[in-house]
Amino acid sequence: MSIDKSDIEYLCNLSKLNLDDEEQSVFLSQMQSILDMIEELEEVDTGDIEPMAHPLKMTQRLRVDEVTEFNDREKYQKNTDFAEDGFYKVPKVID
Amino acid sequence: MKRHTVKELQGMIADHSASSQEIYKLYNNRIRAMNDSINAFISIESDEYSSGNKQADSEISGVPYAVKDIFCSEGDQTTCGSKMLSNFVSPYDATVVKNLREKGTVILGKTNMDEFAMGSSNETSFFGNVNNPWDLERTPGGSSGGSAAAVAAGMAPIALGTDTGGSIRQPAALTGITGLKPTYGRCSRFGMIAFASSLDQAGILSISAEDSAIFLEHMAGYDQKDSTSSKETVPKYTDFLNNDLSGKVVGLPNEFFDGNLDSRFQELVTDSIGEYEKMGVKFKDISLPNIKYSVPTYYVVAPAECSSNLARYDGVRFGHRSTDGKDLDAFYKQTRKDGFGQEVKRRIITGTYVLSAGYYDAYYLKAQKVRQLINQDFLDAFKEVDFIMGPTTQQSAFKLGEKVDDPVSMYMNDIYTISSNLSGVPAISHPIGFVDRLPFGLQIIAPHFKEHELLNIAHKYQMATDWHLQTPEICKEID
Repeated sequence: MSIDKSDIEYLCNLSKLNLDDEEQSVFLSQMQSILDMIEELEEVDTGDIEPMAHPLKMTQRLRVDEVTEFNDREKYQKNTDFAEDGFYKVPKVID
Repeated sequence: MKRHTVKELQGMIADHSASSQEIYKLYNNRIRAMNDSINAFISIESDEYSSGNKQADSEISGVPYAVKDIFCSEGDQTTCGSKMLSNFVSPYDATVVKNLREKGTVILGKTNMDEFAMGSSNETSFFGNVNNPWDLERTPGGSSGGSAAAVAAGMAPIALGTDTGGSIRQPAALTGITGLKPTYGRCSRFGMIAFASSLDQAGILSISAEDSAIFLEHMAGYDQKDSTSSKETVPKYTDFLNNDLSGKVVGLPNEFFDGNLDSRFQELVTDSIGEYEKMGVKFKDISLPNIKYSVPTYYVVAPAECSSNLARYDGVRFGHRSTDGKDLDAFYKQTRKDGFGQEVKRRIITGTYVLSAGYYDAYYLKAQKVRQLINQDFLDAFKEVDFIMGPTTQQSAFKLGEKVDDPVSMYMNDIYTISSNLSGVPAISHPIGFVDRLPFGLQIIAPHFKEHELLNIAHKYQMATDWHLQTPEICKEID
């Protein structure tokens, strides 16, 4: 699979990530070599092999539906200078 | 300077030859004296000793340790080696840190690392690369490069690390210390900043396997805050250290001995096998036919999980925040452009690509199927052997800057270590000698939850040899 500059732009948009022109061209050649390496997987016969998403065979445990965590909003909001009255501030979304 | 093991520190505290305050001060002084040249620590705890938990009365009370800056520790700056989190102060403890704090251990500081643990040379850190104590112009490996260098240089007796594709074992090998990656799920991942959630595992970098055994017992165990942590009983690892090894069978995979290893490294591996044979260990050749696909499989699975995990860094609630964005979309994009380094961006984009519409089946699903085959190779091999052995790395510590512009060549550093993360099995690296005064390591892999056997076999080797006790020249200049 070969990729071009428009693929990188498309992926940047999906990842919510800006790259400048120089980064884009460096990434393009580096990603191409990464994809060439990954394409080695095509030679493996994986017919009806079950995909492995997780190393241990375990089922998702559910806990009892009881309140164990309480609202520590003020403590957590100390990590930003952009909180006000319990809200986080962001650029204007609606005109 | 004498590098003390945890075992020795326990003895000093018990017989009152040193107080925990004096021990803390000793390491704090060493860190301050050496950090300018090694850059192993991103942040250093206060000069003043404050015993975290005075009530704690455990076998490790008063033992200080270093923490990779990927673990949250309450009230401390926790950066994950990134500009994105350079101003982040953790509001809580990671479970492994909390477990150790409750046992009375004391944090010395937070260690340098590749940004978000993505790298094999510690050169992707926003806080500058770490220098290998054995040769300051070389890498200590990565991503737990700061933890490895700190232990190797005697700036900490023991350190926490994480291993997603070799990030404990490779730096341990390159700095001449012992590195243990436990089974996936053995230690809680809660509060350990996520990179690739199906591969990440907390572990230990230490001078000896015995020290790892002492610490692992107190770190490991089920945590209801991590639904992937295991309920498997945590054994008292130190009880197994001296078990007899005669009759144990070790598999040597053809794929780890493919003739690509420099003959001088091969000789060290052969010598260490000879040492194990003297203890009655039997060796047999085996094959792990799909292991050659480990690197490409990993570089689909890990970036895919990374692109998803790192979506949370949007600048809104914590971390770096760009002020340039006119609208929300531009704000996110600029925040992430400024906050992430090159390697992290490359992996986010690669991960987004392999998960994107039209490519998911061809890349991600395919890689998950190959992962199953690699896992099956291990399960089949462990029907015949107790352990699998081989070199931890293909070479000793390389020069800083040597591979930084060639990601594929950098990724190949992890060729021997990645497969254990894909399968989830535990593995250890211990030093087995030197080539040109640079240390080299042997990797031993065991079946799931057999850490006690790994620690046993490595400990027996370390009782018969002293490679793990060699210290770099730089230590001799410090008290």
